[in-house]
Amino acid sequence: MSGLQSLTAFLFFPGGLFLLAAGLIYEWVDRKLVAQLQNRIGPRWFQPFADMLKLFAKEEVVPDGSHHGLFVWLPVAGLAGVLAAALYVPMAGFPVSYHFAGDLIVTAYLLSLPTLCIGLAGSNTRDRFSLIGATRTLTQLFSYEVPFLLSLLGPALVAGSWEISQIADYAGGRWLVLTQPIGFVLALIGLMGKLELPPFDAPEAETEVVAGALTEYSGRGLALFHLAKVVALVVGLTLVAAFYLGGVQGILVFILKTILLLGVVAGLQALLARLRIDQTVGLWWRYGVILALLQWLVIIGWEVVTA
Amino acid sequence: MRIGAMLGDVLRSLVRAPVTELYPFERHPAPEHLRGQVVWNPEKCTGCGLCAMDCPALAIELTVVDKAAKKFIFHYHVDRCTFCAQCRVSCRQGCIELSSTIWELAALGRESYALEYGNVADAETLLAGGAVDNPATPAPS
Amino acid sequence: MSVRTPQERFIVPIGPQHPALKEPGHFEFTVDGEVVTGASVRLGYAHRGIEKATEGRNWIQNLYLLERVCGICSHIHASAYALGVESLAGVTVPPRAQAIRQLVAELERIHSHLLWLGVAAHESGFETLFMYTWRDRERVMDLLEAISGNRVNYSANVLGGVKFDISAEQADAILAGLEFLEERTDHYLEVIRTDALFVRRTSGIGVMTRRQAEVLGAVGPTARASGVPRDIRVEAPYMAYRDFPVVIVMDTAGDLKARVEVRIRELFECYRMIRVMLRDLPPGELSVRMPRRVPAGETVSRVEAPRGELFYFIKGNGTDQPERIKVRTPSICNMDSVIKLAVGHQLADMPMILAGIDPCFSCNDRSLVVRRSQSAAELWSWEALRLHGIEAYR
Repeated sequence: MSGLQSLTAFLFFPGGLFLLAAGLIYEWVDRKLVAQLQNRIGPRWFQPFADMLKLFAKEEVVPDGSHHGLFVWLPVAGLAGVLAAALYVPMAGFPVSYHFAGDLIVTAYLLSLPTLCIGLAGSNTRDRFSLIGATRTLTQLFSYEVPFLLSLLGPALVAGSWEISQIADYAGGRWLVLTQPIGFVLALIGLMGKLELPPFDAPEAETEVVAGALTEYSGRGLALFHLAKVVALVVGLTLVAAFYLGGVQGILVFILKTILLLGVVAGLQALLARLRIDQTVGLWWRYGVILALLQWLVIIGWEVVTA
Repeated sequence: MRIGAMLGDVLRSLVRAPVTELYPFERHPAPEHLRGQVVWNPEKCTGCGLCAMDCPALAIELTVVDKAAKKFIFHYHVDRCTFCAQCRVSCRQGCIELSSTIWELAALGRESYALEYGNVADAETLLAGGAVDNPATPAPS
Repeated sequence: MSVRTPQERFIVPIGPQHPALKEPGHFEFTVDGEVVTGASVRLGYAHRGIEKATEGRNWIQNLYLLERVCGICSHIHASAYALGVESLAGVTVPPRAQAIRQLVAELERIHSHLLWLGVAAHESGFETLFMYTWRDRERVMDLLEAISGNRVNYSANVLGGVKFDISAEQADAILAGLEFLEERTDHYLEVIRTDALFVRRTSGIGVMTRRQAEVLGAVGPTARASGVPRDIRVEAPYMAYRDFPVVIVMDTAGDLKARVEVRIRELFECYRMIRVMLRDLPPGELSVRMPRRVPAGETVSRVEAPRGELFYFIKGNGTDQPERIKVRTPSICNMDSVIKLAVGHQLADMPMILAGIDPCFSCNDRSLVVRRSQSAAELWSWEALRLHGIEAYR
């Protein structure tokens, strides 16, 4: 790709501004769906944009006892990670901007970057709630990451490649949700764990630890972390749709499939109560890993049998 | 023991309209006995002052214009009122009512919260300095 | 890199401002990882000097002042006060007025328990149950608005009776509302019993044995969930509870789930009783004349608020202003049980255990002066009380 094309891809479309706007719109759709399921009206369409504008306009207060540089730059690192991850997935139904062999693993790590940054940011302060929230964030990272990665690697296994564009091409037209249903379920629920959506929102449980690791953040830092979360939502949904729901060919199909997945996520959010952190870890390590390994056994067995 | 015991509610809400009332675009009528703003009728007032004495918020002041001829001015502080209706109960003559239509009382300043009820003629007498038997109220300026 | 020594304590403060608390109170939990190893409480943030304020107002004005001690149990506070003053004055309230008082009190209990169910669900992260229970609570608030004129602070009482009557249409509306609420309460009982995630958050948490409940002095549904048969409506009937009795609802498990269940099953008792009362409401007057100067004397008035036993001590000196009114609310009896039960549980259970006693901090803030045996009794003036409030929290 030429330099100008790369710059456009990174700053405007399909990365950068388009992605930020898409993230905020998806957040609004999620809140509206959850509200409808709770028999109330949700916020109006501009609410997430207004929230971001307001946060950027506020003063950033750096608490005493925290490392100033880390405090200011960790949110930037988190957002940069997910924005970079978006370049390797077929965003908005367009072909990927960059690809190389093994970029699935790199993308998975880039998607975990905001979680690591939140964990570090929480440990950076002396606030009790931040420390507890950071501990919980990192504990949750260690619990859902293995099943989530295994579920993303399932389609990689059948496609015979570790490159997202090749997996997406292979999965396009083949609905892997039918042949790997357990993997699909784990991928979707793992995405909810990554984004700390209910029932996995113990790290930012409002009634226990105020705002978890982000308690001391206000203004720009909070806005950047929030944007990182919503961009991760879009990228995660794109990945799951591209791998399991028969690929995303064209922007209309992209919107349709990702909104469908978002509907399922919103339904699960509304239906389930919050899990305690020890219950989350127990759930993932007892059922999540076993199911993921089971799914892998099935895939490997099938490959061996048909080879 | 099931996962998601509220599934029925959640699915039904998908097809139902939300219960939120879009006030002020949708306004449901207030119930008949709503305790809104106090309204005073000067006709039967005997000037006993029980309403002012029993008000827990000191929202009522009664100014005597002419005690013998039963002419009074009723000062009502809307911002102090708790809408408890004790004044309505204390008044043995039935002069006081709580409106069920005037209840949207939000305002941007305190000026609209000092109400005076009474006959215009009585107010003019008071302002002209013609109050009779009126020790409590300071001389009008 | 410093190693954590055993003397270091990690204290998590919940309050005075915290999303888990609806009102200010300060809880300090000493945690080791996620497990709580110690707890302490500090109250007094919502103290407004109401008991002192009653001494400067006449008996009628105090009715409305005391109604505002609490928002959710406002009617029962006013009723306890009215019952006490009426007994001091030696006045017999007509039976229809007592029955209407009881009707409003039971409707208030329904309102309070539905509100609490939503709050408990919110504390455990179950937002959907919170939204639905509060939506259904609107129905009982509309009923109360239709009969009394306001959604909270119903001001149903006057000294000597009640202000309003229940007409036939209002009675029909109440019965229709109760039918809707009973169906929804059935559903919620099933939800809290069968929803796997909610049960995991409430079952076996905060267990209080019957012996512990009796020693700690717990009252209300918190005690009844541990098997203690304490209910003032049955032990010392007031208002019209002799004519329309209530059955004590108890549970033996003593954990959080039992407390939720006891409150929901109490709702069914309320529905049953209101139906019986509307059918057999005694005829008669709504109020009786009360003297403005209440004779001197002391009286004690005990009623069953939605949270437990509410206790009023009223002392009159023959004038039209009271000498002393002392209010002891149920939440302060249950507060100690939170501190004792917290140890050993996870931090995530703390908001749930706190919500389990249905705390009402604005109810329970009183100032106490501990009298040493040698010194004479002190009477604080308004100014002294105000200064103490500023200095003590500096």
